[in-house]
Amino acid sequence: MSIQNLIMNLQKYWTDQGCYLAQSYDMEVGAGTMTPDTFFRVLDKKPWRVAYVQPSRRPTDGRYGENPHRVQKHFQYQVIIKPSPSDIQQLFIQSLATLGIDLKYHDLRFDEDNWESPTIGAWGVGWQVLLDGLEITQFTYFQQAGGIETFPVPVEITYGLERLEMFLEGKDDIYDLQWSDDVSYRDLRIEEEREFSEFNFNHADIKSLQKKFSLTSEEAGKLIEKNLLFPAYDMCLKSSHLFNLLDSRGAVGVTERVKKIAQIRNLVTKIAQKYTSREGSY
Amino acid sequence: MEFVLEINTEEMPLPHVKAALQQLKRNFEDELVSQDLVDKKKRPGKIETFGTCRRLIVYGDLIACQRNKEEIIVGPPKSVAFAPDGSPSPAVMGFARSQGVKVDSLEVVSNKKGDYIAVKKIQKGRPAQDVLPQVVPDIINRLSFPKMMRWGTNDFKFSRPIRYVFCILDGKPLSFKVNGISTINFTTGHKLYFPASIKVKSFQEYRRQLKKNKVLIEEKTRKARIMNHIEKKLEPLEAQCYPDEKLLDKLATDVEYPYVFLGAFPKKYLKLPIEILSTAMREGQNLLSVVKGKKQLPVFLGVTDACNDAKGFVSKGNERVLKARLEDARFFWEQDSKIPLKERAENLSQIVFQERLGSYKEKSERIKKIALYLVSKLDAGKKKQEVREAAELCKADLLTEMVREFPSLQGKVGGIYARKEKYPLAVWKAIYEHYQPASLDDPSPASLTGAILAVCDKLDSIVGVLGLEIEISGSKDPFGLRRNAQGICSIVLDKKLDFPFPLLLDKVIKVYEDNLKKNRSELKEICLEFFKNRLEYIFSHLGFRYDLIKAVLSSGVDNIYNIFLKLKALDSLKDNLKFRTLILTAKRVNNILRGQPKYKVNQDLLIEKEERELYTTYSIIRDNVRPLFLSGDFSKAQRIVLTIGSSIDNFFDNVLVMAEDKRIKRNRLALLQQVSKLFSQIANYSEVVIEGEKD
Repeated sequence: MSIQNLIMNLQKYWTDQGCYLAQSYDMEVGAGTMTPDTFFRVLDKKPWRVAYVQPSRRPTDGRYGENPHRVQKHFQYQVIIKPSPSDIQQLFIQSLATLGIDLKYHDLRFDEDNWESPTIGAWGVGWQVLLDGLEITQFTYFQQAGGIETFPVPVEITYGLERLEMFLEGKDDIYDLQWSDDVSYRDLRIEEEREFSEFNFNHADIKSLQKKFSLTSEEAGKLIEKNLLFPAYDMCLKSSHLFNLLDSRGAVGVTERVKKIAQIRNLVTKIAQKYTSREGSY
Repeated sequence: MEFVLEINTEEMPLPHVKAALQQLKRNFEDELVSQDLVDKKKRPGKIETFGTCRRLIVYGDLIACQRNKEEIIVGPPKSVAFAPDGSPSPAVMGFARSQGVKVDSLEVVSNKKGDYIAVKKIQKGRPAQDVLPQVVPDIINRLSFPKMMRWGTNDFKFSRPIRYVFCILDGKPLSFKVNGISTINFTTGHKLYFPASIKVKSFQEYRRQLKKNKVLIEEKTRKARIMNHIEKKLEPLEAQCYPDEKLLDKLATDVEYPYVFLGAFPKKYLKLPIEILSTAMREGQNLLSVVKGKKQLPVFLGVTDACNDAKGFVSKGNERVLKARLEDARFFWEQDSKIPLKERAENLSQIVFQERLGSYKEKSERIKKIALYLVSKLDAGKKKQEVREAAELCKADLLTEMVREFPSLQGKVGGIYARKEKYPLAVWKAIYEHYQPASLDDPSPASLTGAILAVCDKLDSIVGVLGLEIEISGSKDPFGLRRNAQGICSIVLDKKLDFPFPLLLDKVIKVYEDNLKKNRSELKEICLEFFKNRLEYIFSHLGFRYDLIKAVLSSGVDNIYNIFLKLKALDSLKDNLKFRTLILTAKRVNNILRGQPKYKVNQDLLIEKEERELYTTYSIIRDNVRPLFLSGDFSKAQRIVLTIGSSIDNFFDNVLVMAEDKRIKRNRLALLQQVSKLFSQIANYSEVVIEGEKD
């Protein structure tokens, strides 16, 4: 099964479970959790079901296309359901079965792993799901987002598409994966990985990143004042990615790190508070 | 009558399962004893608990029905109950009416005050099936876990979402609700393979049916099965599993029906040190290392949850993942080798230990100063050079890729790299061990240099953080200060480090110069109090009696090792009859002396034979025990001090302390003050509790 078939299978499966099929968010994010389809929607009281593929960028994970497992951009398959259904684990296990995984011959484990993202003031309780020792999914009951207690409680299922595909194809090298029958992951991605690794580690201009960081975070603050919460949140996402680039350039000291993360979190927390206090969202 | 309860949940972590089973056992016992459904005398073994990551199970052998209780309500005295003609008085009729009974059914009871009219009422015992639905939900609600969560639209918090609650009593389903979740009348087997419902009538059947459906409810059985399968797998290799109790405990709870599989990795990774190999295997994949003698083999063991790996997929999959991890580790190992530790240590100024306490570079400078001071106090001058070197390098591994990948290996990685760079054994060992002990069960550093380094590193953190007025409370201890303080105490006791602790504390405070918020003397007091509390905790953890602990700690924390020896001395004598008598005498002495100013003994004023004798005995004992105190032989000292007993008793029997002549009275008080001072060199005897003693 190629990656695109894997995606189509998951799309079919989760839309059958009543999920709305969102399209990937058009900005650099570190994880599917950070897009508005998750971040805003877990905050309010309304039921919500969504599934989508999200390209996720982690500049420090770049390996110039030379490491068979680490890449600075990978693809997540994100599912959010609120409130969490009582049979959600069963639904997840069935999704694996629809991918042709016969669990009779494999070891499936839910191993404690409590996810948190200090940048967006979020944490949850759950597991990393291991299939024959390979982490294929992060499974989390959100307890807090934007510093606000989530209720009803959303559940998040994040499949690592490349990981899962490596399992399905039994391959040791990410670049050997088939995106489609005649296009490989190597064809699509290796040059991009090389160039972005160069950029992330050696060429991203530190001064300009720092300048952009202060611009976007300042603008986020102003937009919050004007109650333009979605644009404000976009500015936070931009700031977060700029911060990650600064980090991969080795330009963030320890105290600086704590400070910048706190800066973004404060903005995000304000957005969350304003959003939940809006009429109709509750 | 058999009671079986199963709370079935999504996968809980091991510490949660442990915590819940303990609470369930205790709370069920307490509640059911108080409800009269468990016989107090037969209490042990009447409630049993079992657990896996997916279920908390309670089994109880209960009394079917509470006994009837007789209640006696006492009314007016018999003397005013009846008129001379035998007819009931208004008081009695009123009483009968208020109790809703006829006068005929009243009885006469006798108590201390005399005979009274009374009514006996029988409160009917309720059957277990009526009582349990009322008490069980509350016990489940009260469970608390290290971290709790909500799910769905529930406000209720638990370890992980509850899937169902199954409960039977005497083979019949017992229905009640736990926070909106109704009990069901069946259980299920293994979640993946045997999810169909199973109905059972007894605990035996429950256990048997679950076993058939790939769930072993006893932790012991699962662990034994793992060990047994490991042995079988390793027999042909003539190899052994590298012991890792913590991981085995985790695995025995993480799976409901274990199978063991064996996998291999390419030999080239054997170049990595065993600590790094085993950590790479354990973290993430929960794999066990295999050794032959002391040699690591290129194989590993894993445990599956009810999957017998018939096609070898599990083992192959784990091999693939492990290979990738080891490849990463090898990459880090090679990258790290390019920069020597010494150079890394220079760069520690880039890493902040705590904003106000400076960088790790500054921390290791402080550790060096403190450690050299401690070396001088311990007369370990020969260790100077190695202590200096180890202190300079001990934090350097924080800058390695390896520690970034495996933070749990901090210290160890530094030690291994120092070994690779051919530093002396004492130096690399000290670096390797200086985070030990990580908990009360973790061993102290084996080497003296390691012990010194560990004590100084920890004490530096404690003083610094307490000096910044960062609050430490029940759940808040971000720098692990309590663990650090316990670590210091354990090391001092294990390594018999004999030195005056307050002096070391002074040194640490001095080394911080005036970078701390608190003033020096106040900070010292706070630190001493902090250590006193930790020592109380450790000593009681070691099983010493609380009053003895208080007795040796009552004068505060000085030489920690001596305090421990004193405590052992008290403990070894606690049942000795002479000692108990001495304690009572000492208490009498202390009571007499309470509130008295200090006096001096004038030998010429010792007029009575008994007081002269007491003074002589005291002087001999004092001179005899002095060297013993200095050498720390408190046991022997204590035994010698005991011999003063009869002299004091004679003194009290024949001499009046509070004599009319003020000079004589003061002289006698002075004598007792001397004796009391002698006692207090071991402990404050007033704190020791003697059984049967009246306060």
